[in-house]
Amino acid sequence: MAAMKFYCDAERCIECNGCVTACKNENEVPWGVNRRRVVTIKDGEPGERSLSVACMHCSDAPCAAVCPVDCFYTTDDGIVLHDKDICIGCGYCFYACPFGAPQFPKEGAFASRGKMDKCTFCAGGPLPDNSSEEYRKYGANRIAEGKLPACAEMCATKALLAGDADMVADIYRKRMVNRASAALGKGFQLREQNIGSGVDLKGKVTN
Amino acid sequence: MFKHLVDGIFWDIALWVFTIGVLWRILSIFLVGNKKDLSVARTTGMTGAIAANISRFFPRSEMQSRTRLHVIAGYMFHLGLFALLFFAAPHILFVESQTGLSWPAMPYWAFIVTAQLAFVGLLLLWIHRVMDPVTRLISSADDHVGSILTFIVMLTGCMALLEGFEGLRVLHRFTVELLMVYFPFSRLMHAFMFIPSRAFTGAWFGRRGVKA
Amino acid sequence: MSDKKQSRIRRHRKVAYSLLSLLVLTLVLPLIPYAVAEKDETAGKVFNPGTELWRDVRQRDRDVIGTTQMKSVDAGVLINEYGETWRHFRMQQLVPYGAALMGIVLSIILLFYLLRGPLRLQEEPSGKKIERFTVFERTVHWFTVAIFWLLALTGLILLYGRFVLIPILGADGFGITASACKEAHNLFGPTFLVALVLLFLTFVKDNIYARGDMLWLLKGGGMLGGGHVSAGRFNAGEKIWFWIAIIGGLVLSVTGLILVFSILGQSREIMGLSHVLHGIVALVVISVSFGHIYLGTAGVEGTLGSMTTGYVDEAWAKSHHDRWYAEVKAAEDGSDKIVDEPGLATEGKS
Repeated sequence: MAAMKFYCDAERCIECNGCVTACKNENEVPWGVNRRRVVTIKDGEPGERSLSVACMHCSDAPCAAVCPVDCFYTTDDGIVLHDKDICIGCGYCFYACPFGAPQFPKEGAFASRGKMDKCTFCAGGPLPDNSSEEYRKYGANRIAEGKLPACAEMCATKALLAGDADMVADIYRKRMVNRASAALGKGFQLREQNIGSGVDLKGKVTN
Repeated sequence: MFKHLVDGIFWDIALWVFTIGVLWRILSIFLVGNKKDLSVARTTGMTGAIAANISRFFPRSEMQSRTRLHVIAGYMFHLGLFALLFFAAPHILFVESQTGLSWPAMPYWAFIVTAQLAFVGLLLLWIHRVMDPVTRLISSADDHVGSILTFIVMLTGCMALLEGFEGLRVLHRFTVELLMVYFPFSRLMHAFMFIPSRAFTGAWFGRRGVKA
Repeated sequence: MSDKKQSRIRRHRKVAYSLLSLLVLTLVLPLIPYAVAEKDETAGKVFNPGTELWRDVRQRDRDVIGTTQMKSVDAGVLINEYGETWRHFRMQQLVPYGAALMGIVLSIILLFYLLRGPLRLQEEPSGKKIERFTVFERTVHWFTVAIFWLLALTGLILLYGRFVLIPILGADGFGITASACKEAHNLFGPTFLVALVLLFLTFVKDNIYARGDMLWLLKGGGMLGGGHVSAGRFNAGEKIWFWIAIIGGLVLSVTGLILVFSILGQSREIMGLSHVLHGIVALVVISVSFGHIYLGTAGVEGTLGSMTTGYVDEAWAKSHHDRWYAEVKAAEDGSDKIVDEPGLATEGKS
């Protein structure tokens, strides 16, 4: 049993929103709903970093815990999905989710029509794999085709990683080791390489 | 299974019973004919018919304080129900799927507000009917069945608002079919007869020069 | 001799002083850079790669709202800390404690009924009826009842259905029920405000604190000690219920509207807090309403008629609301208000 995870490398993300576009295109997400978004912290200030965020497919998912109709389930791959045939669109998952992943339907004046929508890790839903019904309700099922989510595959800088948690962790660990050794090899301290901070030793802004 | 019955044969039966029943009721009333009016006609009766039709929309001044609840709740319910029936988007879509006819729908928020007005009006009127000893005495089972059936139709309709569950749509349609079958044999016929009956009374008295 | 001795002492002293000063210097000197370095604060701080970023992301010691291209509510917040608090409240507190509250109230009522039984009249029913509630008052009461219970039942199904109804109906079946309940709850919610306004305008004049209410409360309304306590048209218990219903209803309406109009741009935290208030107040009002229902039906002999026919027996009025009875008698002495047959009575106002 694998555990599928996303990881966004803040040192690589360039806020191009390619993952957002890829997601919308791949899943034909309705107007006003975004399953993935890129958030920039300290925009335009020293230390600016961007992160792409969607459903993190939690092991102990708060959305599943608070759902009044118990429509969330975790697949064998550790992907958290919800059954739109049971969902009543109450929005409790939206209140509980730390990452703002579940999206309120935008139809109707009171937003009471329609079901909640969320990132599926491009794994479709409970309906038959790659059926037209599944595509209409949940979007693409790339996992069933042996592919990874479109957002991560599309990421130009390979900042957004998706896949089995162990492999993602391995890739990220190698990156960290490379960054550290590259810095040390040049005889600089890590922080002088301006990793993680835009401020040098003397407190001056370096970029 | 039940869904096929409701969408198929039940709907056909309900529609036929409703159409034929309503026509039969209206025709049978008109075919009774008028008693020969031996009095000398003061007017043609048309003015009386129109006047009665208009004046019945307003409560008589002597009755205003006593009937305030009936008038306000009555208008809330009837206008709300009328708007719901003919200008709710799902209803228009249904009519379009059946006949091809279509017209502009209310926005969703107006749909909800009219539903709420209709519910408030219907509940107030029916509870008042039961609570007031006079109206309770003159109400027959027909009045209560009509009120409750209408309430159930509206309730199942509001329960199906998400438009996400087939079962709820079928339930709403089924209760509508029950109402349609019940309709021609009950006082709900006033929906068709209120104008002719007001006109009849108005003309009958109007010809004699009496304001009805 | 003395010279030699003195110089030795002096030498020893010199050695001791120099050793002491050396000791002090070795201890103090290394501290000097720290004292000097304090002046430049930024240079002293060591930045760990990523730490600052994740501190911002987790909103650890400050609220950091990022920028994003998304236009939805709270899109700039990467991690919403309140979500876990809300989850804990709903699943670990509201659900179990709410069930316990309703269960305890129902058990107390049942126990009270079994031990104490219904409150009887002090004297035999006279057969003479007196009007307690007009048609309009009764209409408003039952109108509120209808909407309140429609909302209470649909709300309770949404709160407890996952634990009670899913094992019976299955997840698919309960999805239909829950959807119906949610839509009905949302649609009927605003109409409760109408009922609340009508209820307030109709009954407020008799529900203001009056002399004797405190005494009534101190005596426990005569429910425990036995014997009836003097009261006006409404006793203190009924007045408290009135204000619980009005204030509770108002809180329920406001928080409910915040939750229904989810597109007005309120944050998740506001909606979560609204839900907390909505849940607590709803369960309290429902629990108190159990007591109201008990006292209105089985708990007090001859009370139900006041809300159905509108008339009560004079004996009932004398034993439970003696001051109101005196008022009615004084105001309408010899009038035709008191009739034997409620069915034939025409209401005074409507």
